Amino acid sequence: MPRSAPRNLHSVFERSMREVRRSLLGWLVGIVGFSLIMLSIFPTIHGNAGFAQLINAYPEALRKLFDVSDYTTGPGYLRSEVFSFMAPLLLAIFAILWGADLTAGEEERRTIDTLLATPVSRQRVVAEKWLALATAVGVLALALEVLLGVVGPLFKLHVGWAPLSAAIIGSGLFALSFGTLSMAIGAGTGSRGFARGVSAAVAVVMYLISTLSQLVEWLKPWRWTSLWYHALGFDPLSHGFNVGHLLVLVACVAVLVVAAITLFTRRDFSN
Amino acid sequence: MWSSMKAQALDTNRGDSLASSHVMELTNVSKRYRSGGGVADVSLSINQGEVFGFLGPNGAGKTTIIRLLLDLIRPNTGEIKLFGLDSRADSVAIRRRIGYIPGDLGLYERLTPREILTHFAYLRDKIPWSKVTPLIDELDLEIDKPVRTLSKGNRQKVGLVAAFMGDPELLLLDEPTSGLDPLVQQQIHELVRRAAFEGRTVFLSSHILSEVGEMAERVGLIRAGQLIAVERVVDLAKRSSHLIDISFESPPDPNFLSSLEGLRSASVVGNQLRAEVSGDLNPVIALIATAHVTDLSIREPGLEEMFLTFYEQPHA
Repeated sequence: MPRSAPRNLHSVFERSMREVRRSLLGWLVGIVGFSLIMLSIFPTIHGNAGFAQLINAYPEALRKLFDVSDYTTGPGYLRSEVFSFMAPLLLAIFAILWGADLTAGEEERRTIDTLLATPVSRQRVVAEKWLALATAVGVLALALEVLLGVVGPLFKLHVGWAPLSAAIIGSGLFALSFGTLSMAIGAGTGSRGFARGVSAAVAVVMYLISTLSQLVEWLKPWRWTSLWYHALGFDPLSHGFNVGHLLVLVACVAVLVVAAITLFTRRDFSN
Repeated sequence: MWSSMKAQALDTNRGDSLASSHVMELTNVSKRYRSGGGVADVSLSINQGEVFGFLGPNGAGKTTIIRLLLDLIRPNTGEIKLFGLDSRADSVAIRRRIGYIPGDLGLYERLTPREILTHFAYLRDKIPWSKVTPLIDELDLEIDKPVRTLSKGNRQKVGLVAAFMGDPELLLLDEPTSGLDPLVQQQIHELVRRAAFEGRTVFLSSHILSEVGEMAERVGLIRAGQLIAVERVVDLAKRSSHLIDISFESPPDPNFLSSLEGLRSASVVGNQLRAEVSGDLNPVIALIATAHVTDLSIREPGLEEMFLTFYEQPHA
């Protein structure tokens, strides 16, 4: 039996990462599996004129809704199959689930009492927990980037690093926004279920605003209110990085981090 | 049991001049919960090196007070000072000097006690592991099994090590022995006694009166959010009554003890006289010594009885 103390638990950040380790591994396996399936289908679609015809025969509304223009090229395929919904969704679900757990979960399991009795400020607790959330989302996003960018060409899927990175970073920041929102609501209410429900609902509404604004004319002036638009709605796979959209996402995450810290600091942790 | 040695130490160590060495000072503290309950207008001072027992039924407000001290919750009104520092503004500095075990202890279920204790040792200003292991060995705690497989007693031991590690100046123990087997309870008593012996301050809550009487020097009684009384255990003992059974060779005179000031009641059954006497026992013993007695029993009341006697009778 080792008689020494483990080395990976010296801070709230490290302990959070230790606790999420197994779950994160599961999500990684899921994302790898999803990406490999998507990639393995691509060679049969790539350069297939029949597919292109089929897609072009779709009504325009459907094509816009599911983002299936130039479906047979690498960026077009990724846009409609990976980044139109699934990849950002997977990252966001992970972030929303864990974000609420980091604040409200610690409270519901009553470990918050002993944690906050240590000489660590509440601000620091939240900041470190958020750093853990951002790290975990980053790990998942990086896995996606490596799979699509490095493994992709093996399946004849070629996409430039800049557009791919722009889409990945957009997805990651979208997920992190809602993970942070979930964390903030959890910090303010102490309820995991409430935090997750509200965050997921807002994420869906924003997705719909951005997507439907391509079809519904009156929604178009409002699409800037949607984080989805700033993350993926502006089509990073065609246009690459856009500093303006990126800044909106970063600013939004920053505001939510401040909100989470403020709510957590003001809370009464009664039993 | 309450030893006379401890009582002496109490008398010599705690004069009235120690007002400046209050480890903890609550002034008119109120906390109301939206759901009802809380505490109202509590004022209390705890001296350095004191073991203070906080007594009351469940839901009376004991936990609320302890959570206020830790800044887990904030008072609506009133002022709380620990080590002369403000409980809100200087909370981190205060918590540096506190060990705490909550009444309803939550542990990180996916971690082992070794991992949990390492974590808390680091958060508490990097207490070296060599200072943690003696406590683990003393409590005979198995530290490499996942927490979720531990018994209630072993879970509490994890909390105890976390609270006592690094020898904090002030220990806040919220119902530390509740629901544990007698062996673990004894270990907790031992830890508290040692902390007190080393001059550290212990604030412990309990709804078991005898237990508090065994460990504490002063006791505060809280009921429905109100701090009803704060008494030294020795004073309580002085004010409380004793039950005395005296057996004689023949039926005794019912007025045998009637000259005693503290006599509350006396009755004769056969050759036996049963009396309830409050206050000093010495006059009783002196009187009994004048008669030919075949058997004698003097029963000391428990803390519960003390409190009941004390608060059933109006004190001028």
